[in-house]
This record gives sequence, C-alpha cells and structure tokens, in this order.
Amino acid sequence: MSVVRVTQPMLVASSLRNLQGGLNKYADLQEQLSTGKRVNRASDSPSDATGSMRTRVAISDQNHYVRNAENGIGWLGTVDTTLSSMADSTRRARELGLQGVSTGTSSVNSREALAVEVDQIRADLISQANTTYLGRPVFGGTTAGAAAFDTTTGAYLGDSGQVMRTVADGVQVRVDMPGTSVVGPDGASLFDDLTTLSTALRAGDETSMRTALSNLQGRLNDISTAQATVGASYKRLEQASQKGQDSVVALRTTLSDLEDADLPQTLMNLKMQEVAYQAALGATSKALQPSLIDFLR
Amino acid sequence: MSGSFSSLNTALTALRYTSAALDVASNNIANVNTEGYTRRRVIAESIGAPSVPANWSIYDGVGGGVATNGVQRLSDDLLDARSRAEHGNQSYLDVRSTVLQRVESGIGEPGDSGVTAALGDFRAAWHDLANDPGGTATRQVVMSSAVALTDAIHAQASAIEAEQSTQRSHMNSAVSEVNAVAKQLADANRTIAASRLDGVDVSNLQDQRDKLAQRLAELTGGTATPRADGGLDVSVGGVGLVSGSTAKSLVVSSGINPDGTPDGNPLVLGISDGTTTTPVTGLTGEVGAISDLLTTTLPAYASGLDAVAKGLADTVNALHQSGYDLSGTAGGAFFSYSATGAAASLTLAITDTSKIAAAGTSGGTLDGSIADKLGASGTAESSYQQLVSGFGTEVASVKRRQTTQQLLTTQIDNARQQLSGVNLDEETVNMLSAQRAYEAAARVMTTVDSVLDTLINRTGVTR
Repeated sequence: MSVVRVTQPMLVASSLRNLQGGLNKYADLQEQLSTGKRVNRASDSPSDATGSMRTRVAISDQNHYVRNAENGIGWLGTVDTTLSSMADSTRRARELGLQGVSTGTSSVNSREALAVEVDQIRADLISQANTTYLGRPVFGGTTAGAAAFDTTTGAYLGDSGQVMRTVADGVQVRVDMPGTSVVGPDGASLFDDLTTLSTALRAGDETSMRTALSNLQGRLNDISTAQATVGASYKRLEQASQKGQDSVVALRTTLSDLEDADLPQTLMNLKMQEVAYQAALGATSKALQPSLIDFLR
Repeated sequence: MSGSFSSLNTALTALRYTSAALDVASNNIANVNTEGYTRRRVIAESIGAPSVPANWSIYDGVGGGVATNGVQRLSDDLLDARSRAEHGNQSYLDVRSTVLQRVESGIGEPGDSGVTAALGDFRAAWHDLANDPGGTATRQVVMSSAVALTDAIHAQASAIEAEQSTQRSHMNSAVSEVNAVAKQLADANRTIAASRLDGVDVSNLQDQRDKLAQRLAELTGGTATPRADGGLDVSVGGVGLVSGSTAKSLVVSSGINPDGTPDGNPLVLGISDGTTTTPVTGLTGEVGAISDLLTTTLPAYASGLDAVAKGLADTVNALHQSGYDLSGTAGGAFFSYSATGAAASLTLAITDTSKIAAAGTSGGTLDGSIADKLGASGTAESSYQQLVSGFGTEVASVKRRQTTQQLLTTQIDNARQQLSGVNLDEETVNMLSAQRAYEAAARVMTTVDSVLDTLINRTGVTR
C-alpha cells in the first residue's frame, strides 16, 4: 500500500483493527484449545463437519450392532447349555430303555422302577425345553407366552417366528432354536417317545421298547445337529461383536482426526499469536505517542 | 507608483490572512477525532493588478498583499462514492454474517447434544426394543427418545422462527432509521442550497451531508449523486429516495406488520411519496441483508428442516404401520405433523407403550423385526447432514466474503483518510508557519511605521 499521507486517526484506526484482529485469532485458538476441537461449528470446516456427523452416526450404528450381538450371545449361550443337559437326560433315558430291553423278563417291580425314572426324565426334559432367557422361552419362537411346551402333554405352544439379531449392516443372525426341530413334531416328539418307552417298560413290550429306543437315538442326533447350529451362530455373533468393537475404535480415531485439535500445534500457534499480539501492542504504544508537539518548545 | 501607506495595507492583509490560517489550523486540530470531519485549508491569493484598467491608476507591479480566497474542504467526490458503495456491501455482509453465525451456533452441530445425537438415541432405543420387544421399559425408552428427538427438532425450528421474528423487528427499525436519515439529508440539502445563495460557508453542512449519505448507504446501499446546488440526491435500488430538499419514504409494502409479526405475504419493499409506492429490489446494506435473510436464507433452512422432519416421520410411519403392536393389531402412525411447518409440529402420535408396533407378524408375538428396521439409520440422517453442511458452507462463504470486503473497505477508508484526515504534525507546522508569518507581517508594519516616522518627523528638521 502506497501511503502518501498518514494521519493520526489512520494510525489509531489501523492499530485498533490490528489489535482486534490479533485478539480474534487468539480467541479462535483459545476456543480450539479449551474445547479440544478444531471443528466447533459446521462453518469451521463444512466438509469435516459432515464427515464428523456421518462418523458419529456410524459409531452409534456399530455400538448397536455390538449390543445386539451381546444380547444374541446371551440367548445362544442359554440355548447351548440347555441342549447339552437335554442331550444328557435323553441319553440317560435311552440307557434306562436299554436296561429294560436287556432285562426283558425281569420282575414287574424293577421294570416299574425304570418306567418311573423315565417319567421323571420326561418331566425334567419338558421343564428344560421351557428354559427362558430374560423371561422368554428360548425354544418358543416369538411367542408371548411363558412356556414353549405344555408341561403335561408336551405339546408345542410356541410359534414359527424367528428371533433375529442384526449384528452388522444387513446381517441378521438367528438366536433362538425352534422347539420342534429339537424335540420333533407334536405326536412324534421326544416327550411322546418317552411316554411310549415308559408304557412299554411297564407292559414289558420289548418291540415297542426297541422302536422307542431307535426314535430316541434319532432325537439325540437332532439335538447334536441343533448344538452344531447354535455353536456356529455363537461363533458368528462373537466375531460380529469383536468386529463391531474394532470398528468403533477405528471410527473414533477417524472422528478424532476429523474434528479434534492438534494440541501441540494449536499450543504453538497460540504462543505465536500471543507474541504477535504483544508485538502489536508494543508497536501501537510506540506509533501513537510521538508527535511534533513533543519536540517543539 | 504606489502610495506611501500601501505597504501598511499590505501588512494588514498579511495579518488577516495569517490569523485566518491560524484559525483553520486550530479548527483542524480541534476536530482531529471528529467523525466525518474533512480537513480544511485556507486558500491564499496574492493581490495584484486590478483587472479593470483605469485612468490615472497605473499599477507598478509591486503587489498589494494577500487575500483570503475562501476555505477549501479537502474531499473527493469519487472517493466518497466508492466509500459509500463499499460500506453498503460491508454492512450487508456484517449483518448477514452475524445472523448466520448466531443461527449456526443454535444448530449445535457437530456435537453431542444436537439433532444427530437425538436421532442416534432414537435408533438405539429401537434396537433395544428389537432385542426385547415385550419389555415395558424398552417401549418406554422408545417413546421418551422419540419425544427427545421431536424436542431437538422443535428447538431448531423455533430458533429459526425466533431469528426471523428478530429480523422482522430489525427491518422495521432499520426502515424507520432510513426514513429519519433521509429527512435529515433533505434538510441538509435545503440548508446547503440556501446558505450558498447567501454566501455563507457550507463546509460543516457538507460534512453533515456526507455523513448522512454514508449512513444511508450503510443502511440500504443507496447511491448518491451530487446536485448543482451542493446537495446530494440518493436513490435506493434505482428509485429516488432523496431528491434535493424532498425525501420520500422507504416502506414495507407487505410481509411485515407494524408490530413485527408476519402478515403471510412475501416481503416487498417500496418507496412511497405519500400517494404512490414504487417497489424496490436489489438493496444492499443492512436493509438488503435483512430482506435477503427473511426472504431466502432463513426460510430455506426452515423448509429444509421441515423436509427432514417430514421425511423422518413418513419413513418411520410407513414402517410402523406395516407392523403389529403388542396386542397383535396393525400399528398406527408413530409421528404426526401438520403439512405447514412439519418441523415445528412434529409430535409423537401414540401415548400407550403397548401401541408401539415392533412385530412384523400379527397375533401379538414378540417379534422385533419392525423395531430392528426402525433402528437402522436412514435417509433422515443423511438429509439432515446435507442440510447442516449446506448451511455451514453458506456461513463459511459469508465469513470469507466479509473478511475480503473488510480489506477493501479498509483500503478505501485509508484512501479517504489520506486525503481528508487531519495530520497533527502537519497542522502544527501550519500553525508555526502562520505564527512566523504573522510575526513577520507585524515586523513589516513596525518597519513601515519607522520609515514614515523618519519621513514625517525627521525630514527637513535641521536642529
């Protein structure tokens, strides 16, 4: 700027303007330092602000997925333990049946004892099949009722609905196990087989016992198949949860890159701005003081 | 051959001139910090030969002293016009940037407490409901997070509405200031014209006139044209507002009631002479900024927010209505809103937690597939992000333009100040030179006096 003629008001105005400008920059840096953020409002950097909002949405999505997966792991854990103990009970019933077949001609009393134990195992299996997780029967589909199977007849009370958990964008994992695929359809279910077995034991009907035993073997196979399915789903949920947590960490890093202030650099800038401001103050005090009046006596 | 006493007269003109120069210097020093003051300079002119030749009066060329040929006001019409234009743009950008920044801080994005955060909580509540469709607590959380979301959207809608209402009052007060200043300028024009006829110095009136024209430019971006009689005519948006000693008035033809409430029509400004009103457009300055904010910028953001609210309500409602509530009946609308002002009227339509339709199958099952779909983030998030980032870009661009304009305005101000500002050193020098010249003129008088003393009292006296 080629200034031909400088006047005192010009000096005053430009000093004030420069001091204000310096203070403004100082205040900006101070805001960045005290909030720890480089982007405090959308206009600070519109593209970074958009990125930051998108990242926040993504972080919240991933957090949901992790929570959904954890919830699903709870369901599947319950299903898995229940299936193991159901398999144990079924195996025990089968042993009792085998005992009944091998001692086919033994006394009525001993067969009665076997039959009573089979009846107890049946009742126990029904109660296991009614296991709940957070108040919901895990083998009952989406039923609103408290039980998946009728406690006396063993009839299926649940529905064919599926309990799904979304664990990633568009990825759903089934976390329940349909009761009928574990114990078989009504009329030919595990519980019906056990009733047949206990009746046959009481009657000493060896043929019926053998049929029931072979049916029980089929049920045991179904249970292990179910366990394998559950195991696979469990694994998927664990992986999904881990992946979700990893994504959250990665996204938080991205968010920090997008909107957080670089502290050392900001501190450095603040210090530089402070020096500049002090220099401006010094220059102002020097520029505004002298006038010809000081030198005329 | 000039007379013996002519030197005395010459010295007298010098005394008169130098005391005038001293007066002007002292006036300049006195007004060094007066806003709108333009420095003055005494114009000296040496007195020479009479321009009309006369018999028996022969000018011998020694000079007749000095005459004070008026006081000059050091201003430049071109610079003044530039300054008015730049100040008009500057105040337009200042008002616009202040208002937009205020609105922006009301939006509060990106942050942990804005609409984005409320939307996140809303989605999280649906995910939790999908995990536990029968739970009363999870249903309650869905309702309360929906209320929190509508509150966040309402807060933004009402912040925009409040800003619009502030700007309407601002418009009314700015318009009445324009009219007051226009009247004062017309008065100044009349006085200047009259005083010039009377031969009175009008410098102070001209300072006042320029200040008023500058203020009108800041308010409306109006352009001024100098008149032959010394006044300034101002036209706003191409329509004359002040012409000589008559001032028309700027009026809000429609859009704002006198009490600051909206009258439902688009904002139209006009210039009225009392009987007819000519509509004006293309204003800058404060009024132009407010007019643009009220007709374009703020309504655009408000309708963008309405579109976001409407989109959110429509997609949520569509999914919700495809589901079934706890008793197995088909779900109703989840949000309700009125067609005008969706953002401000968005409310939760259901009051009973069991009416939340989380299930995708009828029959009162504990299916959570609809809740799961509602938990997925969708178009509401992205359209809101677009809205906010668009607004942020607008604010950033205004801030940049404001900074650039500031440089330009400063440069013009400096150029004006270079010409018209008072420099104390210069005035001190002027004062000193006037002092010395006065002393010298007084000395001339003493010398002439002594010469005359010799001539009158000593000549021919022999004793």
